[in-house]
Amino acid sequence: MTDRRSFLRGALAAGVGGVAGASVAAGASAASGGGDDHRDAPPPLRGFHGAHQAGVEEAPLPRTTVVAFDVIAGNRRELTDLMRTITDRARALTAGGVPDGAGITGPPADSGVLGPSVPGGNLLVTVGVGASLFDHRFGLAARRPARLTAMPTFPNDALDPAWCHGDLSLQLSARDPDTVLHALRDIARHTRGAAQIRWRIDGFTSPPRPSGTPRNLLGFRDGTANPAPAELGRLVWTDDGGTFLVVRLIRMLVEFWDRIGIGEQERIIGRARDTGAPLDGDRESDRPDFAADPVGKIIPLTSHIRLANPRTPATAGSRILRRGFNYDRGVDAVGDLDMGLVFTCYQRDIPSQFEAVQHRLKDEPLVDYVRPFGGGYFFVLPGVRDAGDHLGRALLS
Amino acid sequence: MRPWVPLTAAAVAAVVAAAVAGGAGLLPGGGRSRASGTVLEATLGRCGTGWTRPRPGPQTLLVRNSGNAIAEVRLVDRAGAVHAELEGLGPGVTRPMRVTLGAGEYALRCSDDSAGDPRTGPLVRITGGGPGGPAVPAVSENDLADAVAAYWTKVTAGVGRLADLTGALRSAVASGDLGEARRAWPPAHLAYERLGAAYGTFGDFDTEINGRPEGLPGGVRDPGWTGFHRLEYGLWHGEGAAALGRVADRLDRDVRDLRADLPRQRLDPADLPLRAHEILEATLRFELTGEADQGSGTSLRTAAANVAGTRLVLDALRPVLRTRYPRLPEAYAWLDRVDALLRGRSALSDLSAAERRRLNGATGQALELLAPIAEIAAPRRTS
Repeated sequence: MTDRRSFLRGALAAGVGGVAGASVAAGASAASGGGDDHRDAPPPLRGFHGAHQAGVEEAPLPRTTVVAFDVIAGNRRELTDLMRTITDRARALTAGGVPDGAGITGPPADSGVLGPSVPGGNLLVTVGVGASLFDHRFGLAARRPARLTAMPTFPNDALDPAWCHGDLSLQLSARDPDTVLHALRDIARHTRGAAQIRWRIDGFTSPPRPSGTPRNLLGFRDGTANPAPAELGRLVWTDDGGTFLVVRLIRMLVEFWDRIGIGEQERIIGRARDTGAPLDGDRESDRPDFAADPVGKIIPLTSHIRLANPRTPATAGSRILRRGFNYDRGVDAVGDLDMGLVFTCYQRDIPSQFEAVQHRLKDEPLVDYVRPFGGGYFFVLPGVRDAGDHLGRALLS
Repeated sequence: MRPWVPLTAAAVAAVVAAAVAGGAGLLPGGGRSRASGTVLEATLGRCGTGWTRPRPGPQTLLVRNSGNAIAEVRLVDRAGAVHAELEGLGPGVTRPMRVTLGAGEYALRCSDDSAGDPRTGPLVRITGGGPGGPAVPAVSENDLADAVAAYWTKVTAGVGRLADLTGALRSAVASGDLGEARRAWPPAHLAYERLGAAYGTFGDFDTEINGRPEGLPGGVRDPGWTGFHRLEYGLWHGEGAAALGRVADRLDRDVRDLRADLPRQRLDPADLPLRAHEILEATLRFELTGEADQGSGTSLRTAAANVAGTRLVLDALRPVLRTRYPRLPEAYAWLDRVDALLRGRSALSDLSAAERRRLNGATGQALELLAPIAEIAAPRRTS
């Protein structure tokens, strides 16, 4: 193994340092000479503090990562330190600014991925806790949110344990992938001794094609029938300001899907692929009239939208706030593309909402074209109110 | 944790550019920019001149080398603690130096690539403001000399034990009793791993004694592959005693050559602080992934030996670090945790996924705490 640093020392001793220094100055000079990269700054996202955490009710951003951590902290005090640290880092990363210099007392405090000054208002951080955090380790068993369990295996699942569950969930969303990765590196660096990544998946949302709700990788608009903002208090937020998160990692067998006819695709989903309109309507925003089509001649009874949301008074309470992200992660053993959906949804109560929907969807025709392989259930903690508050304060105090 | 200071990247770049273009008169004033616009001279004759309006708080000072020699500058306070440094500042170059200054007296200390002593510029007084940024007294090569001597004494003793154990391993292979050879391999190999031979400590000897097959054109079949791992591969992949005899003889010879050469080797004092985290960086990369294992299933024993090698470095540096690194006890505490997680374990497969996460996390945390030592204890010219 070579000495990775002696080369650098040698180069400086030989006088190369002056050249390197000059190029830095030249670069800085060029940056101010009109060739600057001042893109039109998009409006800042919401701040870190609030009754609810960020990243739930805001419109999904183009880039996200969903990370499950297992806590390796040794006791309750270390767990509290972990939650404080995540809070501090999330607050700093959301606000932006110039990271503290370390001088000669250590390596740089920041990765530098976003430059010398971290832009503020560009990041949404959402932190949740899984049922496994409430085992014997931290004395929290009695504080487990009553309806929080581990995600069960559903009939059409093919779950890989390595891609399921976790003590904590962390979702980071931004407009650009460097912002997401910068935040992930920062948080992981500050929490290494207390939490380790169990699984991680990156996702993206597509721009409207050509308009309306973004399309998933089956080519269909996904997330059309979400609850309105005014309904979130009833359907999504718990009384203490938290919410329950379901993550489902769903491989889409896109090659197979691409080999079936458009009529069948649309009957499986219940919407027209081009417009996103229900098969009995003209526009994406049209409300399907299932009552007028009781035997499913137009929108089949087994179609995805009809099973998921039958739009009856009895099922109105099972609606969920869906936040789908596409994922793309290479190639499988038979040369097919490994891509699909990072399905996330929020609700007040998982059994009567997500699980009720999931049971209705059992054996729907779509199951032949998808393969749920991972995910988990988490309770998204209430928001951090102010500079003196931290994530999980009520839970841990 | 102090909140970050709002400052746009463009402000820093613009200030640098303006200074390069024509000096402080062109600088944008006020606004959100915290760059001071101050340009300090780095040349020996005018060291620190230009610092006319010192003020407290986070700021970017610009340092210009208007001389002909490559310059090196440090911002020091009255107690001698270094707040920031710029090395390799070439002639004609201006570079930003980011600092947070509290009340106190400061000066720039300049040196160039000649052998002469550094010069200290005029003392500048700052009043008011919050706490200053982190600073630590520089460590000189002299300060490190005792640490290096202490370390090298222990390494020399360790190489002696290594040579004895490698001799026993060679004998076992030569006797044809490969079961005995498989029992003799781990102690000899661990004796080497305890030396903390990361990133070129023993030069070419490390490749010959402990090289891995990746990077060799023939991989595990490459005739150029020698050392402990080559022998390990053969011992745990059913190779015959005759072929392995040659491998063991060569290993034994290389180790004896290392022992003979050791008095002629000189440890660069600059290398010792680097070893504080580099040994475990290699452990995380090659042992905790299982990558280095060639069949013996001793990755975790190797990791424990590497922790011992890291302690050797820390113990030697302790006198230098004691007053300079308040988190040193934490670093030791995390090494203790790593040791506890490794105790009684040998193969990576002995650990459950959860246990591996605990080990990886403890090692990562130890590394975060060890890494600053490379910066704090790097030898610097002081007076």
